[in-house]
Amino acid sequence: MEQNKTYYTVDPLGKLVCHKCRVPLVKGSATFSYLDNAFPVELPVCPKCGFIYVPEDLALGKVLSVERALEDK
Amino acid sequence: MKEFEERSTRVYRQKQMFSKQELEQRESVCIRDEPAFCAAACPLKLDARAFVKSMKEGDFTSARAQLERIAPFPFILSRGCEAPCEKACRLAEIGDGVNIGALERACLALGAAKSGRGMLKIKKRKTVAIFGADLFSLALAGELSNKAYPVTFFCEHENAAAVIRACAPFLTEEEAAAEAQRLDQLDLTIEYQTGLSPEFFEARKEGFDILCASRAFFQKLAPEDEPDNVTLVLPKVRLIAPLADSKGVLRALFDAKRAAVSVDRLAQNMDPAAARGAEGPIKSRLYTNMEGVKPSSRVFEGEGYGAEEAKQEAGRCIECSCEECAKGCAYLRHYKKFPRQLTREIYNNVSIIMGDHMMNKPINSCALCGQCSVTCPFGYDLADVCHIARQNMVATGKMPLAPHEFALHDMLFSNGEAFLSRLQPGYARCQYVFFPGCQAGAVAPETVKRAYFDLFQRLSGGVALMLGCCGAIADWAGRYELFGETGDALREELDKLGSPQVIAGCPTCQKTLQGILGQEVLGVWDVLQDIGLPESAKHHRRAAAMHDSCGARGNEKAQKAVRAIAEKLGLELIETAYAGDRSPCCGYGGLVAYANREVANELAKSCVERTEAPFVTYCMACRDRFMRQGREASHLLELVYGPPAGDPPDISEKRRNRLWLKNSLLKEVWGEDAMEKDWGFALEITEEARAQMDDRMILDSDVYEVMQAYRETGDAVLDTETGLLITRRRIGNVTFWVKFEEKDENFVVRGAYSHRMQVK
Repeated sequence: MEQNKTYYTVDPLGKLVCHKCRVPLVKGSATFSYLDNAFPVELPVCPKCGFIYVPEDLALGKVLSVERALEDK
Repeated sequence: MKEFEERSTRVYRQKQMFSKQELEQRESVCIRDEPAFCAAACPLKLDARAFVKSMKEGDFTSARAQLERIAPFPFILSRGCEAPCEKACRLAEIGDGVNIGALERACLALGAAKSGRGMLKIKKRKTVAIFGADLFSLALAGELSNKAYPVTFFCEHENAAAVIRACAPFLTEEEAAAEAQRLDQLDLTIEYQTGLSPEFFEARKEGFDILCASRAFFQKLAPEDEPDNVTLVLPKVRLIAPLADSKGVLRALFDAKRAAVSVDRLAQNMDPAAARGAEGPIKSRLYTNMEGVKPSSRVFEGEGYGAEEAKQEAGRCIECSCEECAKGCAYLRHYKKFPRQLTREIYNNVSIIMGDHMMNKPINSCALCGQCSVTCPFGYDLADVCHIARQNMVATGKMPLAPHEFALHDMLFSNGEAFLSRLQPGYARCQYVFFPGCQAGAVAPETVKRAYFDLFQRLSGGVALMLGCCGAIADWAGRYELFGETGDALREELDKLGSPQVIAGCPTCQKTLQGILGQEVLGVWDVLQDIGLPESAKHHRRAAAMHDSCGARGNEKAQKAVRAIAEKLGLELIETAYAGDRSPCCGYGGLVAYANREVANELAKSCVERTEAPFVTYCMACRDRFMRQGREASHLLELVYGPPAGDPPDISEKRRNRLWLKNSLLKEVWGEDAMEKDWGFALEITEEARAQMDDRMILDSDVYEVMQAYRETGDAVLDTETGLLITRRRIGNVTFWVKFEEKDENFVVRGAYSHRMQVK
């Protein structure tokens, strides 16, 4: 399980709820893409409507550093 | 609004910034790598600055090693050298030059001698014979022995001590003994007590590949001839010997070095004149700032320096080096690199087709203010290099949008929603147009309004108004196409007003518009100096420091006018270091504040640190950035048209201020009511969220757009721990996330963040 390429640890089930569908977000696969580069990631996703949530810590942490690295490519 | 297209990392375009030749020409402007004056004066190429530094640090052994490296007989050098280095020392211009000769003698007394024989050298195959002993031939024997030639030294004297005594009679007894021992230990064959005669020479020369002679013996062999004055070779007999004018110890040692190079060339069957490089003393182009350097006298040598005296004498050395650019520029200090090195690294960075572009950030962190071109004694212009690099990156699709996109949108906002171009009511064409600049409207809209009212009341011929951006932002970002389009659009608008004389409220606008229009643009300070201050102008009885805008570099007229106005206002002006053309940038220039906040803050900090006094500026960006550093600062127009605008506005207020200025002028001057955008809901942004948004460059309008999308789709996540809803919207190249609570039809915004990466 540790080999999964995750950028962050998904919050425990039930902490995040889709406001529209009223169901808890689950761990789902998504794709980050930037400047014509794409990587698969695991993010909290609504199983019903597919809303993908990018938490603040992730956006300002790993996502930002990957953005910066790609900008210099 | 116009969208900017993100670059792709899969586009492999490349274009040279300029030719290799131009690169070298630009680099050659920097003289930092030139030798110190003392080192340049030494024909033996002793790096006296490094030598003295070792002495200063008390590392006598290292100093001694440096001396021994250039002189096979260091006592002879230190005692006999005429020391041209001391005369070339910059301290000699105002007092005594550093006593380098005495320090050389001291290092031999205080430092430990080299132990061991050093690296194993493989003996060369060509053999050398040296006939006759004088200072030249003795030194040459040492040089060639060090170069591992099998050398045979023929002299008339009975032993090493006698040779040293004859060649260097000026040595003390101990020194002579030390050098005699050194001669004995050299890896060479010495034949003492040889009866040197032309017959002896003829008999013995056959066994050797290369022949050298003392001056006296040379004259016996070829009394009619002189060796070549560079190679010291007499081609006729392939004999190496010193010249007739070879006088003095240093000259003999230098000639021995030159002769040793000729031996190398001959040993390789080359022309001895080939590939010799610069020999002997050279003229250094180094610049040493002597400001604040006080004259001092030599420490008395007496019987020779002790350790403390030597350190004290060496301590007088000012270690000549040129750091004029870095002294004034926080950006250069941040990267700890000088313009020459940066130029090379930037040039190479731009040439990279695939892989990491490590210099992108430094390229985008230069304020493009041009201070270096003034502080550098030779005018090195790094700003130009960074500017060309940015344009090049844009042209090849290598410029990331992230560092500049906010500023570019801000410019489009200034020239779109907040743009206004109007004739003064009652005029079909105007004599003048007031162009206050985007930052003036953003920071102090009331001041701009009062200034416009004053101008159109007191100037005749009508004063039109144009609120917008001059295009400097596009230019700074390297977006040359957008800059061109902006220039065209401004020209067109000015044509519509009857091509009036532009009065700029900002030195950067003045400079940029002058470039776009190809004609003189006045500064509002020029006009105020001409027509005098308005009656309402208050007297300010206080001291203040004038900060010159980087846009006014080279604009003496503006620099003088603002000072004259400040004095008329009653200000007691304090001149700081780096005033006028040498002024540093506040960190707004070149969009550093967007690309590298850390460097921008260091720039602003270094500006305000020049004095304790409050600042007067004539660029609104400087005023804004100084106040953000916690320093009292006023724009000159605020003092003329008080009261001042107050605390620096955040990024959203800056936009609101520009819109307010436009709308209130439209209403008051032209009687038009502007429609304000109604979102159909209201936001309450908490103080914390507002600070966060300012820090993260998120505008109120971005948050409104996100919330509007939420109202339409209902997409959001509920964080059950905090009870906050979180929603998002992609606007252009950025995804904005808002943390909020619902309150009836409205929203309380508790936080916001963004990322450029797309998620699917």
